[in-house]
Amino acid sequence: MDSTRSAELFRQIVLPHLRDALALARWLAGNQSDAEDIVQESCVRALKSVDGYAGGSARAWLLAIVRNTAFTWLARHRSASLVMVGDLGDIDDVSRDADTAAEPQPTPESELIRRADQRALATAIATLSLPLREVVVLRDISGFSYKEIAAVLNLPIGTVMSRLSRGRHQVATEIRRADA
Amino acid sequence: MTRTIPEDDRIALNALADGELDTATASTLVARLAADADLQQAYDTIVATRDALGGLELPVVPLEFLARIENLATPSPADSPLLRPRHYRWEGWRNIAASVLVTALIASSATYLFTSPRGPSLEQMVASAHRRSLLAANPVDVLSSDRHTVKPWLDQHLGVSPPAPDLAAAGYPLLGGRVEVLGQQALPTLVYRHNEHTISVVAQPGSTTTAAPRSLASGGYNMVEWSIAGFDFTAASDLEPAELATFVAAYLKAAG
Repeated sequence: MDSTRSAELFRQIVLPHLRDALALARWLAGNQSDAEDIVQESCVRALKSVDGYAGGSARAWLLAIVRNTAFTWLARHRSASLVMVGDLGDIDDVSRDADTAAEPQPTPESELIRRADQRALATAIATLSLPLREVVVLRDISGFSYKEIAAVLNLPIGTVMSRLSRGRHQVATEIRRADA
Repeated sequence: MTRTIPEDDRIALNALADGELDTATASTLVARLAADADLQQAYDTIVATRDALGGLELPVVPLEFLARIENLATPSPADSPLLRPRHYRWEGWRNIAASVLVTALIASSATYLFTSPRGPSLEQMVASAHRRSLLAANPVDVLSSDRHTVKPWLDQHLGVSPPAPDLAAAGYPLLGGRVEVLGQQALPTLVYRHNEHTISVVAQPGSTTTAAPRSLASGGYNMVEWSIAGFDFTAASDLEPAELATFVAAYLKAAG
């Protein structure tokens, strides 16, 4: 396949999903300028491998590249913060979830959350470990289906569901805590 | 005091909120919700969290960044699809259309770079855009005669939209809207029809003055330019100049 064909494929497959790519990268990296570096690096990889794109969701294909690039990038530039992620084995261990104890709530929690502003939400998302954060961002901010998320992250759907549940729960808890 | 919801139930509630449960499982769960206030409260919290997160905005893709990414694929300086030679191969149309739409999608809100065009004038670009739209499978990106659909669509994609009155009563039904990328700008464009003729109205935001309609011709089309309400408008059509002027008068009257 010649480079003109690759360039055409790149335009068709990659460019339409730059916004989702930037969103994921930004939430993983924490800022716009690092996110742009990550997405640019991802696009270089995508251009190289676009000939091998085998159909299916172009968005999931690109975001898988972005996600993997982001983790490589973060490991290279911020190895310290990756430590916070912890062992992936622990991440899916539900029994480690310290915050399942329910508390008395004068205001319905759902009301409290609906009133939360963008900054409170962003802060809450930032508290999520990367494995939970990426699922929450893909699902709730970019609107991916469970199946697409499973494809991007190369995980069983059950794991996606569990992480989403825990991620949302933690966001809700953080908002409630911040409001207290 | 509410009780703790088991993790499995919580996962199922999330899937229910996302419409990812099969019908049987969903209806069983819905029945349980009705009988269990704690479960219902957990569900409400999940829905509220999902909605709150869903309200967070996707980042805008800066034009400069888009240009950088486009350059990865085409390291030559002639990058803008509009600056390429006009004699496209036919199979290229799809890509160009996709590229224009993409640029428009991501060029939302506040990234209007007013560059003084060194190449073709705005009139020439509007004429080219109008011609392209006639050659495309559909002259609009959002097909609707309902201004309540067209305006929000343009707002959503560009963060700006001109008045979009439906002029069907005057003989100019609103066909829909599209985004034109002229030079460096993504511009909201309204599309009207009159008999068998299509009229493109390109709106360039940023006007601070008002200017009365002025007729001209470019690229084989008749055009009218005017300025009101923060926009410089250019209408292009193969209608006769007098007919086009009548349309513009109707638009101005309806747009107030």
